[in-house]
This record gives sequence, C-alpha cells and structure tokens, in this order.
Amino acid sequence: MEGEETYLDLFLARCAAQDDLALPRSPLLSPIVPYDVYIPNSSNPETTFNSQLEEVTEISGNFSSVDLSFLPDELTQENKDQTVIRSKHETEENCKTESWQSRLPLPSQQDVDLVLNSSGGSSSHSHLHPGDANSAQRSPEKPHSLPLASITPMTPVTPVSECSGIVPQLQNIVSTVNLACKLDLKKIALHAKNAEYNPKRFAAVIMRIREPRTTALIFSSGKMVCTGAKSEEQSRLAARKYARVVQKLGFPARFLDFKIQNMVGSCDVRFPIRLEGLVLTHQQFSSYEPELFPGLIYRMVKPRIVLLIFVSGKVVLTGAKERSEIYEAFENIYPILKGFKKT
Amino acid sequence: MASTSRLDALPRVTCPNHPDAILVEDYRAGDMICPECGLVVGTDENDLVPAFSFITAGDRVIDVGSEWRTFSNDKATKDPSRVGDSQNPLLSDGDLSTMIGKGTGAASFDEFGNSKYQNRRTMSSSDRAMMNAFKEITTMADRINLPRNIVDRTNNLFKQVYEQKSLKGRANDAIASACLYIACRQEGVPRTFKEICAVSRISKKEIGRCFKLILKALETSVDLITTGDFMSRFCSNLCLPKQVQMAATHIARKAVELDLVPGRSPISVAAAAIYMASQASAEKRTQKEIGDIAGVADVTIRQSYRLIYPRAPDLFPTDFKFDTPVDKLPQL
Repeated sequence: MEGEETYLDLFLARCAAQDDLALPRSPLLSPIVPYDVYIPNSSNPETTFNSQLEEVTEISGNFSSVDLSFLPDELTQENKDQTVIRSKHETEENCKTESWQSRLPLPSQQDVDLVLNSSGGSSSHSHLHPGDANSAQRSPEKPHSLPLASITPMTPVTPVSECSGIVPQLQNIVSTVNLACKLDLKKIALHAKNAEYNPKRFAAVIMRIREPRTTALIFSSGKMVCTGAKSEEQSRLAARKYARVVQKLGFPARFLDFKIQNMVGSCDVRFPIRLEGLVLTHQQFSSYEPELFPGLIYRMVKPRIVLLIFVSGKVVLTGAKERSEIYEAFENIYPILKGFKKT
Repeated sequence: MASTSRLDALPRVTCPNHPDAILVEDYRAGDMICPECGLVVGTDENDLVPAFSFITAGDRVIDVGSEWRTFSNDKATKDPSRVGDSQNPLLSDGDLSTMIGKGTGAASFDEFGNSKYQNRRTMSSSDRAMMNAFKEITTMADRINLPRNIVDRTNNLFKQVYEQKSLKGRANDAIASACLYIACRQEGVPRTFKEICAVSRISKKEIGRCFKLILKALETSVDLITTGDFMSRFCSNLCLPKQVQMAATHIARKAVELDLVPGRSPISVAAAAIYMASQASAEKRTQKEIGDIAGVADVTIRQSYRLIYPRAPDLFPTDFKFDTPVDKLPQL
C-alpha cells in the first residue's frame, strides 16, 4: 500500500540521517547495551564478528552514508504475508546473531525497530536498517568496513522466542481537520453528492467518498472529522478531498491542524488464549466480564493503548496516535499472550 | 447475653489477664466481661471485680440498639419507645440531630388546623441522598430476597463510592444497583446483570458501566463467574430435583474443562447444561422456560447446546439415572 511505503521510507530516511550523525561511537546512544558486550573501536571487530557469525562472506566497502535505494518495495498488502513469513525467518536469524551481543528484555524502541524491520522485509538490506540504539553498536564497525555484507544484520536484541513476527494491520484512522470557515450545511447537503444531513438527528453533514473509502462529518463551525481510512496518508488524502469538495462549493476552505486522533489495528496471534488466566495475573490492567463483552479489555499503561483480546487469538488495538504505539503495544502483549496459550 | 449490635468496633479496654480475649457485652447490666476469667472490665483498673458480684464497678456501655420494648404484643398501637430507631453510626455520619415528631392532642395544632412545628426538620441533609440510596438498596434486595449481609456490604460499598465522589455525576440508583451486583459477587453468590436489572430501573448497560467504574474507583476486583454459581438458583426456580441439578453442574463444569464452549458466557453454558440434564431426566424443561429463568435467549441455549451435544456421554456424571438415554437426547 502506497501509504505504508512512504511512511516507512520517511522513517528510514530519518533514522538513516541519525545514523550518519551517530557515526563516532558513543555508548550513550544506546544506554541499554551492557558494558560487557560493548565493542571498543580499537579492537578487531571483524575478527570477533567473524568468529561468531557463520555467514560472513565478503567484506564490503565503507558505509559512511546509508543508501536506501535497494530497500525492497514490497510493502504492499498482498505481499505482507509472504514478507511476514520470510521476515520471520530473517528475524530469527537476526535474533540468533544478536543474542550474544546483548541478552536484554524487549526495550520498546528496539521493538519498534525490530517490527519495522520484519515488516520492511529482507534482512539482506536491513543491516542498513536504522535503529537508534543500534547505531552505537554498528558505528564502531562502520569505519572498519563492515564484515557482514548482505545477510545477517545488526538488528536488536530480542531473543528468538520473543520476536513475534506478526504485524498488526491498521483498520481505521480517525482524524480531524479545521477548514477555518463557517459552513452552510444545508447548501453543502443540497449540492454535494453522497452527503446526508438530518439536523434533527445530528448537527453535521455526513459525506462519503469512494476512494479512499472514508466518511466525513462536517460541522457548521468548519471543523471536520474523517474516519475509515486504512493508513495515515490515506486519511490525509481523504481529508484533503473533502476540503476540496467544500471549497468547490464556494467556501474559502483551508486545511489547518490536520491531526490523527485515533488509530485502530488488529491482528491474529494464531493460537487460542486462556482469558481467565490472563485476567487473574494481570488484574490491574484487565477487565473480563463475559456477561458484558466476550473479549478481555486490557488497558496497557505504556504505551497507553487499549487491547481487546479474544479467545480465538484475535487482538484489536486501539487508542493510538501513532503507528509505532500499536506495534509497540503488540510486541509488549505478545509474550504475555504466549504464556496463556491454550494447550 | 452476647452483644448483638451491628458491626461493633473492638473496644479499647481489654482484660489485664487475657489481653487477647474479646470482651463480651452484658446487655442486662451494661458491662464488658472477659470470657476467660469472668472479670468485669472497666476503664478504671482499680474497679475490677468478678462478674458474679452484684455490685459491679466497670463502666456501663451505652446500648445503641433499639429499645427493648418494641416487640410487646399486649399494647396494640402505642409503642412507648423512648429512644427512637436504632442508630446507624457506621453508615450515616452521626444521627444526633433533633427531630420533632408529629403531635397528638389539641395543643399541637394552631388556629387554622395546621400542626405547629410542622415538618420535622430535615435531619442530616448532607446524607439525604445516601439515606435515600440505602432505602433503595433495601427495596431492591428485598425483591430478590437477599440476606442482610449482602445488603450491609452493599451499603458499605455505596458509602465508600459516595464519599470518594469520583462517580458523582452518575445516577445514585445506578451506583446502588452496581454496588448490589458487586456485593453479591463478593459474597460468593453472584447475580447476573439481568437479575439486578429486573429489580432496578436502570438499564444493564448503565449498570455495567457503573460496575466497571466502581471497581476502578475502589481499586478492588472480583472473581470471575463460573457456571456452578448459578446452578442452584436456576434449578430451584425451575423446580428441578437435586439429581438433575447435580448432573447439570457436572455437565457444565466438564464442558468448560474440555473447552467445548470457548468464548461462551458461563450463563449460556449453564443454561445449556440444565437443558441437557433436564431432557435426560424425567423432569423435562423446554428451552424457552430455561431461557426465561436464566435470562438468555433460547437461540443462545440452542447454540451452546449444539456445542456440548457431541460429547454428551462424557459430560454426564457416572451415577446419573437416565430417563431418556443419551442417544435419544434432542438434537437441535
């Protein structure tokens, strides 16, 4: 999906820039790396790496600047499954090579990187994959011409058993924007296609467009709520389309303060879950009342996300303002859910 | 002669010889007596004398129960209770305001026929809403014959929630209903939300919302409901014999253990188990009847029944006497 590609590319570009800045080794950038695995610049990182890694084939050139051009463009929805499966193997590989470096519990930032890495696809390119915390580890190698060429990347730290390899799919994005002009809802309802306006029921025009398939609530104050998009870019695009419609009707519409208010994602852990066990151990976060709702409502504190966990293994995550929050929340809950797998 | 006053706080005096012994209140003389040695314990240690002496020197306690003569049958109407109703100190703060009762006799009426000192001044106006809620709770509990301990627990919960003021905007009746639900759960005899709805004017949705809010406000949690919690009540309401009730309990428990009904509400599973057990016995009940009692739709019973039907022979207890054999059970 085009939206996800742009998002990822932007994210990667940003992290690549940070990588460049972090070129001189500084352990401060990754405070969670334990000292015993810190690789000093002066020692021979190649030999240590070579001894540890089975798959070192060639010594590639100097990587002073990160080139993203050969990142795969296979971030479409259709390829998602394949990439997920493939990336699962890759992340396991990554995890194996990395586990000696730091046996750490999932730090949230690295989780994000790891997940993005899995969603990004092939590991052959992911040694360029930015991770702010990795930059310190990798930067010592950079001036010494990175021994690992195309295969095993420097992805963070999670041991094999904890990488989930599952990426939650975004299902709904709710955003608001201010058109900054008073609107005559009756005029809009009369002239616009696919608009409904029933002032006795609700004080806004409900407008729909087909591409991206979204619904907007347009209020007379000029504020608008856009719902139903599947990605941030789509939501923005749809909001712009609605603003254009309003503009074409003669109002001096602008596009101020576009903000994503809520993001909903869902995924499947592919095993049944013992909700009774989960509610017993995580009482302060969970609420499971089969009389009221068949799913368990888990209110995660950090990030502040609400997860609906069902017996079938389906998980719905909501309340996020950023995509990374959804990924982070899922990575946090996955090991917990694995502990309550029904045998 | 043991004390029967409600929820007594432990008095600070203890017997000097048995500091751990809980003192027994003697109603007749108003003393606190140590059960181990019989000493009458007062605040002044010098006055300790054994209880069998006629002259006691311990401090008299003030009986805060209602006056004794309330139950006399000889006097028909005039009830010479001079101390008023029993005090409820733990729930309303301080019943110590003055009330003027309705007058009898000519002197209490002024020239127009209106009573002087009309309307007894509102007492404890700060807790008027709370007293109202207590009355409502008692009414609701009375409708489903809940025992006094549940009502007391509900009152306590309501008081805690009310004092916290975190749910101040919600209807008091909704909070009272939710407190009643929580109290039943905490006492180990949960009532379904629908049962509480039946005696309250609040919707199930609102009671559910208040329930979650109260748990959060009081930072407590409740145990998960199980199928067995409802068996005795549902079966009694359906006039099913004990054998059928035990069989239904066994079926439901086994069904949950074998995970035949993942994700189904325990009430639905219980209803389906009752249906299966009753259909296998001489006392058959229709799905509609069970649905009415349990508060589940008969299609829900049908769905859960379909899930447990294939394993029916494994679910029945071994000593069950079948009136209808397992293979002849209705298949829906």
